[in-house]
Amino acid sequence: MAQQRTQLWAAEADIDEDIDLNLAIGTYAQNDYEEASLQQPIADATLQAMQAHLSQQNAFAQIPDAVKAFIVHFHQAVLDNNLAEITIAYESGWNKFTEKFYAKTEWPEAELIAPLVNDDPIFLILYRELYYRHVYSRLQPNIDDRFHSFENSCELFNYLLNSDGPVQLELPEQWLWDIIDEFIYQYQVFCSWRSKVKSKTEDELVMLAEGGPQVWSSYSVLNVLYSLMQKSKINEYIAAQREGKSAEEIAEIVGEYGQRPLYRQLGYFSIVGLLRVHVLLGDFTLALKVMDNIELNQKSPFTRVTACHVTTYYYVGFCYIMLRRYPDAIRTFVTILNFIMRMKQYHTRSYQYDQISKTADRMYALFAMCHALSPSRLDDNIANIAKERFGEQYAKMSKGGEDALASFEELFLYACPKFINANSPPYDDPAAIQSLLAPPTPAEASAVDGSSQLDATHRHLQLFLSDVAAQSQIPTLRSFLKLYTSLGAPKLANFLDADEEEMVQEMMVVKQASRSFSRVPGSSSPGLLDGETITTSDLNFVIAENMVHITESTVGRRYAGWFIKNTERTQKILDDLKTMPLPATRAPGQPQQQPQQQQQQGQRESKKVGWAKTA
Amino acid sequence: MAATWIKPSTRPEPIEDLVSGVDRYNPSNVSILEDYLYHQIRSEEYDLLANLAILKLYQFNPDLYNPDVVINILIKALAASPLPDFNLCISLLDERTHPSTLDEPDPLPSTLPQLKTLQSLLFRCRFPAFWATFQSEEFENLRDNYTVEVAGFENAIRQVAIRAVKATFTHITSERLGSYLNLSGNDLTSYVKGLGWTIDSSNGTITVPPNPDNQIEATVVQEAIKLPQLSKVISHAVKA
Repeated sequence: MAQQRTQLWAAEADIDEDIDLNLAIGTYAQNDYEEASLQQPIADATLQAMQAHLSQQNAFAQIPDAVKAFIVHFHQAVLDNNLAEITIAYESGWNKFTEKFYAKTEWPEAELIAPLVNDDPIFLILYRELYYRHVYSRLQPNIDDRFHSFENSCELFNYLLNSDGPVQLELPEQWLWDIIDEFIYQYQVFCSWRSKVKSKTEDELVMLAEGGPQVWSSYSVLNVLYSLMQKSKINEYIAAQREGKSAEEIAEIVGEYGQRPLYRQLGYFSIVGLLRVHVLLGDFTLALKVMDNIELNQKSPFTRVTACHVTTYYYVGFCYIMLRRYPDAIRTFVTILNFIMRMKQYHTRSYQYDQISKTADRMYALFAMCHALSPSRLDDNIANIAKERFGEQYAKMSKGGEDALASFEELFLYACPKFINANSPPYDDPAAIQSLLAPPTPAEASAVDGSSQLDATHRHLQLFLSDVAAQSQIPTLRSFLKLYTSLGAPKLANFLDADEEEMVQEMMVVKQASRSFSRVPGSSSPGLLDGETITTSDLNFVIAENMVHITESTVGRRYAGWFIKNTERTQKILDDLKTMPLPATRAPGQPQQQPQQQQQQGQRESKKVGWAKTA
Repeated sequence: MAATWIKPSTRPEPIEDLVSGVDRYNPSNVSILEDYLYHQIRSEEYDLLANLAILKLYQFNPDLYNPDVVINILIKALAASPLPDFNLCISLLDERTHPSTLDEPDPLPSTLPQLKTLQSLLFRCRFPAFWATFQSEEFENLRDNYTVEVAGFENAIRQVAIRAVKATFTHITSERLGSYLNLSGNDLTSYVKGLGWTIDSSNGTITVPPNPDNQIEATVVQEAIKLPQLSKVISHAVKA
């Protein structure tokens, strides 16, 4: 739909007509959206005027009044750039009405409610964004929905990026993150839907042939994300902040777009968005490289939106796994899982809680896999929870051997992101599609079957499993090595019933597995790809000709903390004692005064407190 | 070491701009990166991120696909074992759904399993098996058409073996080392001398120089008590 971009403020002139609605809006001031406070029905004259213009009068009349009022209120808040109101309407209002009226159906179409908001194109774009998000999450989008939601996203980003100068809109951070998140999510489901050639109807094939390559193409998605980053100059902004530049210098560096919080936040979230898209396309190094400027700690801005926080750690951890950097992955997962555990108590009613729980569960699975591949003495808390949840698989994985592979596969498939292929099947080439659907020769038939198996997830799974298989002998070897300080190679080979040369080579693999690239804490460079080689295992060995020398590093007893704590506690008790008032003493020269009182005093004094001797 | 893995010192400036910026998505830049790959092949250099950029362009623009380039990239990645380079390259190889636009049949489907076998052997440190497989008849195509072009391929693989040996051994017999390096006799001696290692000619044992990986000692991780932790206790004692 090509609508003219009316100036936002020019549309205001029309609003004065709906005076009654404006009066009704004044009552919405509570934190939680209360529709019961709507006192006045919409004025008849306005309603008739609207009905006269619409062809779908029935449909419009079927929209509950409360919803209509909500939409108007929402629109007003957006026009006023009233961030607080927008946040309330967005977070609680929308969800409340969804639960109540639209749990199983779609919200009214944008065209239907357009008169309520005076055809304001910007609000309609935002409304459609919410509308399609609802369709994708609660219902099954059909091909029209997919195409239209793409067009709507393009319009939205076009508006944000290609207007003359930055737009004056202000939206809550949560919404901005959700826009980016949803955009990538719709892209991802479209790609996986698109690659299932066999299940398409004739109409769909035609539509895909015509519009296919442009709709949700990888290039356009990447284009949007990179443009948002570049327009807001977010990387320069972060670098300038780190160098401690003054506010004026920063303002100059980032330009007029970067100064507005809307663009800055969008730029920031785009970086995380890029991290996600690159992982989905299988490019793990680029994903981590994109995050160069963002520091993964609790103070970074992305922690303000919990969903963003969790997503970032999940994808970073997964990249480390595919890069064989298991200690880094473990550290990442432990950090975020601790955070989620602590914040669970505050967030149970958030509508994103389900999604966060699911992601947390997947991260436990990934953590279990990493821990089996690279055992370390780190966080026992998380390790215990993971073992509880995935006990059976974890036991199999730690033992190594044949069963382990099946468990690894199971957990990997459960926890991995939904990878996609960057390109669509060749819908625009009818011959090619036909050959994919109905392969003429047996040779090609097997090729088609093979290629449908080689979908992205399978490919990554195979890579991971081959790594795991290479390390499957390690637990057994390690358990033998633990028992000795020096051991002859032939003897060890005897224990394992293996050929000596094979075994020596396997030892090299063990040694290799105990060295890993890892980010050293305290290193100055912020990049996530950096690191040094560190030892990950307690057990260390070396081969001198045919003799294996083994050492094990142990952790000495930690006593300092306990002693310091108790020393401080004793000192505190002593201090308290010294400042406590002494019991009253008898003056020596007053033996006859109030003998009764003295007796009482004596009785009281006789109840002396016994000071126990401390050992 | 990570710093050179991400950004090799041999990477020229234009390539650096290309790899770090948005221009890497521009299909017309693929020839610059391909030329750089051939430069790497001829001069024994290696740049992982630039090669991954080529594969990514192939991912988005299937008509740019050049199987020889892909095979060369994979061969170069073999020599980086045990780093995950080879796997990262495979991750970017999407399936080919388009009918081939090439003049000749695509050699990748037949060479890819072979390369994967070689990689798995290297990762598992099965060096004698690697050399045996590599020299076998089935791999003749790979040898004659591809690896022969890559300068110093065999030496690069030997480096992989040396890295593994350096970490694991303090002394190693020359037969064993020879089987890992696919060298024997005088070739082996001169190679080892070139590395700076010493051979004890009486019994043929080679001494591996000490490095952080093959010096082991039993360490007890002691707790380091720092002064700030004791500050409260000490200051209290001073006050009293």
